[in-house]
Amino acid sequence: MTTASTNTPLPFIRSRALRRFLSHKLALVGLVMVLSLTVACFVGPHLLPYDELHIDLMARFASPGTGGHIFGTDPLGRDIAARLFHAGQISMAVGFAVMLIATSVGSVVGVVSGYYGGKVAAVLMRIVDAFLSFPSVFLLLALAAFIQPGPVMIALIISATSWMEVARIVESEVKSLRNQDFVQAAHMLGLSNRWIMFRELLPNAIGPIIVAATLTVARAILLEAYISFLGYGIQPPLPSWGNMLNGAQQYLASAPWLAIVPGVAITIAVTGFNFIGDGLRDAFDSRSDAL
Amino acid sequence: MTDENKNSAHLNRRQALMMMGAAGAAGLMGPMAIGRDSAFAANADASGQLVLAFSQEPTVFNPLMPHIEVDEGLHYAVYDTLFDFDPEGEFFANLAAEVPTVTNGGISADGLNWRLKLKEGVMWHDGTPFTAEDVKFSLELLLDPDFRSFRSTGYKLMQEITVVSDTELTWTMSAPFAPMAAILASTFIVPKHAFDGVADKNNTVLNTAPIGTGPFKFKTRMAGDHIELEANETYHLDGPFLQTLIMKYVPDLNVMYTQFKSGDIDVVGLQWITPDHLAEAKGLAGKVVQVTGAATFESVGFNMMRPQFQDPAVRKALYMAIDKTSIINALYYGVPSPTETYMPSQSYYFNPDLPKHEFSIEKANALLDEVGWAKGSDGIRAKDGVRLAFSNSTTAGNHLREQAQQFIQQTFAMIGVEMEIKNLPPAVMWGDYWMNSEFDSVVVGLNALAGADPDTSDYFMSTMSPVRGGSGQNTFAYQNPKVDELLIKGAANFVPEERKAIYQEIQAVIREDLPFLPMFQYAVIKGWKDDVTGPAPNVNNRIDSWNVRDWART
Amino acid sequence: MLRYILSRLGQSLILLLIVSFIGFAVLTLAPGGPLSQFALSPGMTQEQIDKIATQMGLDRPVVVQYFDWLSHLVMGDWGISYRDGQSVLHVIASHLFATLLLMGTATVISVTLGSTIGIFSALKRGSSFDYAMTVFAMVALSIPTFWFGLIAIYIFSLNLGWLPAGNMYSVGDGSLLDYIRHLIMPAAVLALVDVAIWSRYMRTSTLTVINQDFVRTARAKGLTRRRVLLRHIVGNSLVPMITLAGLQLPMVLGGALVTETVFTWPGMGRLFLDSLGYSDYPVVMGLLMASAMLVLLGNLIADLTVALIDPRIRLD
Repeated sequence: MTTASTNTPLPFIRSRALRRFLSHKLALVGLVMVLSLTVACFVGPHLLPYDELHIDLMARFASPGTGGHIFGTDPLGRDIAARLFHAGQISMAVGFAVMLIATSVGSVVGVVSGYYGGKVAAVLMRIVDAFLSFPSVFLLLALAAFIQPGPVMIALIISATSWMEVARIVESEVKSLRNQDFVQAAHMLGLSNRWIMFRELLPNAIGPIIVAATLTVARAILLEAYISFLGYGIQPPLPSWGNMLNGAQQYLASAPWLAIVPGVAITIAVTGFNFIGDGLRDAFDSRSDAL
Repeated sequence: MTDENKNSAHLNRRQALMMMGAAGAAGLMGPMAIGRDSAFAANADASGQLVLAFSQEPTVFNPLMPHIEVDEGLHYAVYDTLFDFDPEGEFFANLAAEVPTVTNGGISADGLNWRLKLKEGVMWHDGTPFTAEDVKFSLELLLDPDFRSFRSTGYKLMQEITVVSDTELTWTMSAPFAPMAAILASTFIVPKHAFDGVADKNNTVLNTAPIGTGPFKFKTRMAGDHIELEANETYHLDGPFLQTLIMKYVPDLNVMYTQFKSGDIDVVGLQWITPDHLAEAKGLAGKVVQVTGAATFESVGFNMMRPQFQDPAVRKALYMAIDKTSIINALYYGVPSPTETYMPSQSYYFNPDLPKHEFSIEKANALLDEVGWAKGSDGIRAKDGVRLAFSNSTTAGNHLREQAQQFIQQTFAMIGVEMEIKNLPPAVMWGDYWMNSEFDSVVVGLNALAGADPDTSDYFMSTMSPVRGGSGQNTFAYQNPKVDELLIKGAANFVPEERKAIYQEIQAVIREDLPFLPMFQYAVIKGWKDDVTGPAPNVNNRIDSWNVRDWART
Repeated sequence: MLRYILSRLGQSLILLLIVSFIGFAVLTLAPGGPLSQFALSPGMTQEQIDKIATQMGLDRPVVVQYFDWLSHLVMGDWGISYRDGQSVLHVIASHLFATLLLMGTATVISVTLGSTIGIFSALKRGSSFDYAMTVFAMVALSIPTFWFGLIAIYIFSLNLGWLPAGNMYSVGDGSLLDYIRHLIMPAAVLALVDVAIWSRYMRTSTLTVINQDFVRTARAKGLTRRRVLLRHIVGNSLVPMITLAGLQLPMVLGGALVTETVFTWPGMGRLFLDSLGYSDYPVVMGLLMASAMLVLLGNLIADLTVALIDPRIRLD
């Protein structure tokens, strides 16, 4: 325990990183974008007089601003604002779920192969390579085409194509750390391998992991949109940003807001997370010049 | 405009199987010549080019292999059947010299012995003469154990197919089977010589460069884009009147419509103009736009094995809770027509006297209250431990249908019924999930008929349900001894008037039982440039190009 | 070197085997199948479906089917498309031109534009131009490509009427100008993301080169700024870009999938979606294998280039 805290330069990194992050303009812009979108998605539905599932065929294709529908209505007369906010909850939940799953799996695979090296690493990293050589769109669609698509399944499928990056990053970090003094010390103290891997080594790779995790959220939101747009993702009536766009192409001429509104939301969310990720990368990497 | 066009497809008398007719029906036999069979036209007048667009890509060029509707678009242009249905449901001869009937001696009075005479001098596109051997080969190929055939119903009953001469063959039926003629009317004849010396009958030249006797010769295919066909100068019927026919694959219906508007496409084919464009399309200058009825009917179908659907009152109440009018008028822009049955209204066998659907949430609620389906604490009705909750599935990605489905979900909730939407990708939806009745309920568009024949045993006979141990397409697992009996009677009867009574009764019983809730009969919006002549609605064929031999540009 | 290449090739083969088995298992074990599209056809009874399944060997155990497929593949037989009746290689080849045309154009745009932006960003590091381009690149990477396509269609086809909304050419036209008109929007939409990627890489690469000795020497020799820029900086910064190009290679198959869908472009992406829809396993597997091969080939080229260029990296 003592070993861990004395040998981990974590607090220092954290505070310095935080300072660097907060002075990163784009990162702050990203943070504001993500936070305001999150607030809108969770508070918004309570402020709107409409239910996201309520169908009103008399109010089909109301254009934005008419009849109290700020973003208009869809082909079934449902309020787009209400759907957009609920969709945001779902899309972002998928994004965060993927982040958790992909980062956890990637970290475990990375730390194990980085720590043990040798044959273990060879096998694990070949598996990583195998997954990487699957074109992710192909894998995503092939899986989604044959599985009952719900938010949970979609999150799992996207995770299956998203954990390899983290694994590679963690593996190389751990490999470079495993011969350092504090690890040797831990060995001499007789700490278990598991303890060393997860309590000593992993925390030292936390910077790159956080960066990768943030970018994974952005990527997951985009991928959900792609799959749902192609019709293989989350199915109506449950709204997601992607499936709100599915079918919007048909009404592009008569009801362009069906396409514009969810697309803007996706762009804001993904840009926000990418900005944050970029800021974090600069914050954790002392060598970087202000990119 | 709309109504007028719909009615133009309405026919006064269906004579689908008259030619099969025993003595009693003989008097009704009209002359078969409809002016098409006049001569071996010189076709020097074949000129110009026409672009026919489909939203799916025709790829199965051997018409006897499993295929989908759009593939028949090409089959009708390249191949010929022995005879075919015209829009009035009457037969006209194609490769046959005359349509076999009891009066002309082609069919014995008991319907068991057939004698078929073929046209003389017909040539395959490669110059080989067409003979009775080709017909015999095609009919036998469909039962070849090594061949992936698209259908075996009917052919299985044909025995001792004998070639009498180059232009004549005979066979006997092991049982009288009224729909046989309709089945033959959709059987394209393939060249025997294309299979000579071929080890794998599933992999012949027909798959890539089809050889037929039809009005157009296959020229080239640009995969994923279009197929180019050219006039068959020696076609044996009138026509073709076009030098070049291009079948263009446009996978997006909006793009297809835009290209029709801009003039890139001359005729809008399969999956046609979407209902939301109807109003605009009708106002387009230089275009003809027609709403025409199709034989497919849309319904909410039940899995009759499920406990939720055992009580007829439940099915009645659910039917009352579907707001058909709103669905048709709002979501489908009033294009399809409401129906109470699976039989297209254009059919001779259509029963116009079925009780009319009424949308009433109050009555539906009252009915369910009355028979003891009481609402639980969650607002969902239940009785004897069975909750009125079930899933409903259809093809994911069919937007209009998904919209209707979500609307139905909402009105069902108003009568205390929970319908969960569980849509699946097409390959999953129509696999075992559909065939083995693994669904609770579905929204589906079905065409239960083969051409103009009214037989629907495959769909409604209890022995045809795979989940009940049968082997047909009765995936609703519907079971009613009365219907079984009537279906057997109808398939063995050759007198149209008598069959009409039988099939009208079947429709009445099914309307009463409601194994599916009939919503509407499909209508499609076809469009072509006003210098194009020839495209005509035909509820008895599945695809636009059924008479492409007659198409011309003026 | 040779030994390294051989061992890498060996590893790639093993990876291909794993990929093919997983892919095959996912496709074959999934519910549905290639015959379900016929379920609604008249006369397509369960009995008939079972018969065809047996004829096609679809009722055999997955492992048997897999080894059957694999043994044919090894002999160079990629199988016959269920849907098309043609050989898988033929089917893929017939969709290749459209995708190559689209990807090629997009790549030319993005390499030219991206490299230019990257070089100038590096030369004017910290300027408002550099900053604006950084923001542009990140936003470009965040916009869903298909949505950008929809918006482009809305503006340039539906509102302005300048460009066609889809397809590769007009039927009966097919002139060069016609192709170009159809190509502009999808190529530009596809290029957007690539411009962002290329400009970022080129910027980093140029920054590295600028600070190297030979550039300083060249400057000191009194060469004009322009000469230094063209001869030395651009040339040397482009070398690492080969690596990137190698990594981009697999995009030829998968990269344009959604863009092809939005613009109804008759290429590989649409072939994949259509084949998936029809459960045309041989074609889906063919595309998967072709694509995985390109990924591995791209990685190999990238690694080898780096090794050849940078003597510090030892291969064994």
